[in-house]
Amino acid sequence: MTSLAVELLDKLPSAIAVVTDAGRIEYRNSAFAATFGNDANSWLKEAARAVAGESGWLQTFFLDDEEPRTIDVEIEGRVYRIDKLMKAGEGGTAAVALSFDDVTRQREMEQAKSDFTAQIVHDLRGPLSGIQGTLEFVLSQEGTRLDAMYTDLLQEAQRESERMMGLINELLDFSKIQSGNFVVEKETVRVAGLLKRAVRSLQSVAARDEIFLLSAHGRDVPQIIGSVEKLTQAIINLISNSLKFTPKKGLISVGAQIVREGDMPEAIVITVTDTGMGIKAQELQQIFEKYKQSGNKSLRGGGGTGLGLYIVKQIIEAHGGDLSVASLEGVGTSMVLRLPVRKTAA
Amino acid sequence: MSANPVAPPKPDWARLVGDSIKQNGVWHTYGKLVEARRVYPDDLSLRGYVEIVRNVIVREFLAHPRGMQAVPKLTAEFLTNFDRFNLSAQEGYLVSLIDGRLDIQKLMILSPFDPFSTLFILAKLQQERAITVPQ
Repeated sequence: MTSLAVELLDKLPSAIAVVTDAGRIEYRNSAFAATFGNDANSWLKEAARAVAGESGWLQTFFLDDEEPRTIDVEIEGRVYRIDKLMKAGEGGTAAVALSFDDVTRQREMEQAKSDFTAQIVHDLRGPLSGIQGTLEFVLSQEGTRLDAMYTDLLQEAQRESERMMGLINELLDFSKIQSGNFVVEKETVRVAGLLKRAVRSLQSVAARDEIFLLSAHGRDVPQIIGSVEKLTQAIINLISNSLKFTPKKGLISVGAQIVREGDMPEAIVITVTDTGMGIKAQELQQIFEKYKQSGNKSLRGGGGTGLGLYIVKQIIEAHGGDLSVASLEGVGTSMVLRLPVRKTAA
Repeated sequence: MSANPVAPPKPDWARLVGDSIKQNGVWHTYGKLVEARRVYPDDLSLRGYVEIVRNVIVREFLAHPRGMQAVPKLTAEFLTNFDRFNLSAQEGYLVSLIDGRLDIQKLMILSPFDPFSTLFILAKLQQERAITVPQ
């Protein structure tokens, strides 16, 4: 390496090392030496053992030289983010340049932020549940003669409180995802019944907005293993999204098809399809990212957190499934999710 | 040595489907998409485009001024020449329910198929001129 290159590498704040596939450090810059000292070789081996056995951790950096890789390694109470910068050589003479950044503080901050969000969201849910209960009680009193105007206002308050609860729940799920605490239960899910209930729960909203909301599946949809609550949440979220962007006299269908391997069901493909305004081609690739919202304006008013589809995707992926989208601007959109059929709980 | 079959590159479905609907209409596009699904069985977005086109077909069928209260009738052509119509078992079953009095809403209730499929089959029967839905 030229002296100029060494000088440049030594001035970088990140710890950088060139490591062979045998785990030997061929080069280390000043920041690396300052961080890990002379004992770096044993540190590296210890880190590798801590993550994936004797050499598994290190070997992942040698698997595919085109693929960028990042691994967070916790060792001796500190967390290091290790990035693969480049790889050279083949076989027994291959080496990779790795950067090591201490992200312990960053991790602590992320955890603190996540805990704070979870606490705030939890504190907001309590009083809001009280408001919802009160509104429901007042509106359900048949003997009470409320002026039609007050009834309308109370119903509006009820709708808005439901919307607010939805937003709070999205934030709570997001906070769980961020902190790694998002787990799905393993129970038997009767998919046909789940879809039917999801459609039924939004039928009155669809009727109010003069939209046809139709089931498009038979009763012979196989059961899967997963979380009834989370999958219901995902389907309701997708239908609710369709309701926001479908004009009057439009149509939303909720279908399920069975993918078979020979005679055995291998997966279920669920579709939520609308004749709404569609999504621009350039926005399609990003709609499952957090905080991304369609450039289209909702026809029913009310914004969102931009987390809904991101959470749906996390739910589907937590079930080992995939989520995809098809859309034609001015024609409609279809959300397509594929869930594997497993015979037993994992 | 046998080579693994290489999956053909994924087409730009949005552009193809959009252009096809404009140039050839929804039924022609639907037929092409069903063919494409045999070539790309694992393509989730393709399944989505099939569903979008099916939705458009059903919405157009329901755009009848009387909506769900419209009453389908068998056409004279079907009654005199039904051998020409190559009906599937599902289509045949629904045709057997059409008596010129039952409206779409009632047919959906009597049909053993899900509501969307019932409407799609009725739309297909109308497209093939086996039934008509008078204004």
